[in-house]
Amino acid sequence: MPEETKHGMQCPEFDAMLMDAIDRVLSSAQQARFEAHARMCPSCGPIFAEVDAGRLWLKSIEEVEPPVHLVQNILASTTGISSARLALGGEPSQTPLSERMREWFDVWIRPGFTAVRQPRFALSFGMIFFSFSVGLSASGLKAKDLAQISLRPSAVKHTYYSTQAKVVKYYENIRLVYEVESRVNQVKRVITPAEPAPAEKQQNRNNDTSGKPEQRQERNSSRDVNQPVLASLPSPSVTMATLSWRLV
Amino acid sequence: MEDAQVVSLLVRRCTTGDAAAWEEIVQRYHRRIYNMCYRFAGSADDAQDLTQEVFIKMYRTLKSYDVDRGAFLTWVTTVTRNLLVDHFRKTKHDRITDSLDSPASEHEDALPLSEQIADTGLPPDARVQSHETQRTVHQALLKLSPDLREAVILRDLQDMDYREIALALRVPEGTVKSRINRGRAELARLLQRTYRQVM
Repeated sequence: MPEETKHGMQCPEFDAMLMDAIDRVLSSAQQARFEAHARMCPSCGPIFAEVDAGRLWLKSIEEVEPPVHLVQNILASTTGISSARLALGGEPSQTPLSERMREWFDVWIRPGFTAVRQPRFALSFGMIFFSFSVGLSASGLKAKDLAQISLRPSAVKHTYYSTQAKVVKYYENIRLVYEVESRVNQVKRVITPAEPAPAEKQQNRNNDTSGKPEQRQERNSSRDVNQPVLASLPSPSVTMATLSWRLV
Repeated sequence: MEDAQVVSLLVRRCTTGDAAAWEEIVQRYHRRIYNMCYRFAGSADDAQDLTQEVFIKMYRTLKSYDVDRGAFLTWVTTVTRNLLVDHFRKTKHDRITDSLDSPASEHEDALPLSEQIADTGLPPDARVQSHETQRTVHQALLKLSPDLREAVILRDLQDMDYREIALALRVPEGTVKSRINRGRAELARLLQRTYRQVM
């Protein structure tokens, strides 16, 4: 009888309140109505009893202990190391060197390497490596030379002074070359004759076929020979005749 | 610092490759996940394998966890539940021949359920505290359908609230409550029926 009313409560309402009643979150009045309905209703009463009994059965179950090596197995199957704590602060003397190196790599190097392995970083690092190798080869530095470098203090000091001497010597040589060159220029200036006059220069410029004025002259002379040209600079006879006619 | 903030920080450190943070997460959650797997799968060996699989999956998909979308525990439960359901589907054929008389797991004595109940001559209230009752309930729990079983495990064994369960199972809260009620009632009926048979 799902719609049956017992103590002012219908069965659908009972079903809706069942979970809250089990969790004890109903008000005292609601709880009393609920329990009264459960006692009186032949269909709802057993349901409430079963659900409550099931809850009690389940609450009787306690946690089980996981296997002892479960954490180590999980860490080994995920990160490849049994324990980061052991790797950092445990007993390093008992761990093989290769394993310690691998764990150290996993803890310190791999995270950064994972971030750097992205394509954008890879391209940048490729360009840096390329530039570096080109710079090395241009400067004449070879990997064999690097291997022969001694890092002893006396050797470093010796290298420093010899490098400084080379730089000073190179500078002095360059200075000498420039001084000689300037002296030679001075001597040339003294020996060479004076520059031609401006008129000669103009004449020379007219002889020069590459100058623009000459081209303009050629353009003028290239006009039609039959076409009368009113000369911009009239001849003296014509000028005199014109002047005498005006006076008359 | 609150627990949620601590976990959030741990997750963030994990995603940057911090092995110590990952170990901390494993230490925090392995017991809970193992128990969930054990109660769902019923076998200690299966539970151990499933727990490892859950953590491997978590380790691979940790970057997909969004702090704003819910608690880390809910996410962990969802991952575990999905893997358990997959496992249930894969081993469905093996369980067809199972019955109440099937042997118990490594955590239990290898006695059929009927024999375990026959040994107890105590009223239900007294049996609640007994160790054998736990084994009996565990066996009965495995007879529930997966939907009902996961709901009652998350509620009564993992103490999750209805909202978290609804998020983990991706069903409405009303459905969660209904499944829990039906699961509890089914479990009680199963145990009562077995008890009557023995008596």
